[in-house]
Amino acid sequence: MTHRPRYVLYTLVGLSVFISFFPIVWLILTSFKNTAGIYAWPPQYWPSPFTFDNYTSIFTNSPELLRYILNSFIVGLGCTIVTLGCGGIAAYALSRLGLRFAGMLMVGILAVSMFPPVSLLPSLFQNFLQLGLLNTYTGLILAHAGLFLPFSVWMLASYFATLPVEIEEAARMDGMGFIRIFLTIVLPLSWPGFVATGLIVFIFSWNEFPLSLVLMTQNAMRTAPVGISLYPGEYAFPWETISTATVLAIIPVLIITAIFQKQIVGGLTAGAGK
Amino acid sequence: MASVTLNQIGKSYGAVTAVEEFDLEIADGEFLVLLGPSGCGKSTTLRMIAGLESITTGELSIGGVRVNETDPKDRGVAMVFQNYALYPHKTVFDNMAMGLKLQKMPKAEIEKRVNDVSDLLGLNDYLMRKPAALSGGQRQRVAIGRAIVRTPEVFLFDEPLSNLDAKLRVKMRMELQELHKRIGVTSIYVTHDQVEAMTLADRIVILNGGKVAQIGTPRDVYDNPETEFVAGFIGSPAMNFLSAEAAQDGWKITGTDLTLPRPQGLGDACEVATLGIRPEHIEVLEDGDASDPWVFKAMVKLDELLGADALLNLSVHGQELLVRVDGTDFPQAGAKVRIRIDPNRVHGFDPATGLALSRASI
Repeated sequence: MTHRPRYVLYTLVGLSVFISFFPIVWLILTSFKNTAGIYAWPPQYWPSPFTFDNYTSIFTNSPELLRYILNSFIVGLGCTIVTLGCGGIAAYALSRLGLRFAGMLMVGILAVSMFPPVSLLPSLFQNFLQLGLLNTYTGLILAHAGLFLPFSVWMLASYFATLPVEIEEAARMDGMGFIRIFLTIVLPLSWPGFVATGLIVFIFSWNEFPLSLVLMTQNAMRTAPVGISLYPGEYAFPWETISTATVLAIIPVLIITAIFQKQIVGGLTAGAGK
Repeated sequence: MASVTLNQIGKSYGAVTAVEEFDLEIADGEFLVLLGPSGCGKSTTLRMIAGLESITTGELSIGGVRVNETDPKDRGVAMVFQNYALYPHKTVFDNMAMGLKLQKMPKAEIEKRVNDVSDLLGLNDYLMRKPAALSGGQRQRVAIGRAIVRTPEVFLFDEPLSNLDAKLRVKMRMELQELHKRIGVTSIYVTHDQVEAMTLADRIVILNGGKVAQIGTPRDVYDNPETEFVAGFIGSPAMNFLSAEAAQDGWKITGTDLTLPRPQGLGDACEVATLGIRPEHIEVLEDGDASDPWVFKAMVKLDELLGADALLNLSVHGQELLVRVDGTDFPQAGAKVRIRIDPNRVHGFDPATGLALSRASI
């Protein structure tokens, strides 16, 4: 083997890392600049002076930020729980119980998820208004869960498919019913699948914008992305506040990812089969 | 313990027939093997008996009671799966105890039973381990243990040894044999391995393409195969098949200069036949009796030493024949030899139907 393809590979990897990280690095650097540094021309790459002022003053500049992050967290967590609960049961039924139209249903679920969320907004808003679900956690959790359920059903169904069906058959021979098999055999064995799916759904929900914007109209109920995007005032564009708030809004997701990535251990089914 | 009766049992998926209806009476304490190539319906049959697969037609009784609609757990059967199917997140003890716990058996009784079985299978040191920490043979022993603790009426084995390496397979095969002798529970065992079938079975059911080809004792299916398929499937290396046409002086083997005498009464009325001769029923002679019509000149084209035995690929008047000989001293490739075919062990089959030509219908 020659070494040339390796260099090509590294170059491509480096390029994609650079492209995807540049905005984030720029964002973080911006949060350490003062106003003059942000508007300096030619652009300042390294903050000078390097200042923590933005972080110390963020809560006076944007007293609602913690509330936004808390809202995002509540909605994200609720959406993850609902999605995993409903998605897990649906995925198990569709992938393992030998339902007649399971394949068609799976495709149907996928097809439904193809609608752009924005196209659902008017009718969703109308219904939520009538049901009194606007500006409630329940409302946005339901909306997000509806949005991300198809994804979680597909993801979990494909995870269930990797479990040897014989384990469930052995459980049937041992005398378990479907619900018991799901709870005591399938759930513990699919833990990594649930963690991975839940993590992604949480991040989806955390980042979701259009529904969060329209369904949460009161400032106190806004989620982080919506709240931060509404900082620009009539006359000013407070980059320092925006960048600092965004960095702070990323941190909880980073922490959660870091915690649960350790839980995503493959090989939990090792020893079941060959 | 119980007998198992399959009365016109069959399985089809829509228009596709997986198992054609057949009858089978499995005696109490019998070790029955379902043997056949993959896709022959043997596993489907076993799964119908287990209750994991619905029965399309016919009636299944265990111990004289119809169980077609009975839940797997209530059939009094226990199953050992090919890939063990242990609960990976539970200890060996819990794996074996699960069925008993679900029966709401008292704890002390469960403990006693699991300990007895782990004694029997030599699993005492592993009870607190998870399956991942066990070797393949140990895992299969746990799977067997899980079946035994439930003291089932019938044991079902679905290719339990196929995942083990060759050496371990022989060992486990003997263990299974001993186990059956000791506890004597009616056992139904699915395999594609004819050696397992021959060594373990009281009777073998040979399936092909969803149809039962033959039911008989190991000796029976080896000595008197009822179809060409059975003849070719049982025995290793496989039987030599020769397509023959009736000629004035015997069976003329198609496409060669070889003519065999007609064995006594074998398919006398037939114009064409497929003759079958097992490699072990041909003898290589130092110097054959030339007047014997069953002695032929042959040339060794290829010799393969297997150890105790050797296989010779012979050309006999243009017909290739595989012969099994003793491995200590045998003619090498290129040698000219004489062979004698045992006329009493020549089989004949109808080329159209594949059915054995009867010797009795002389």
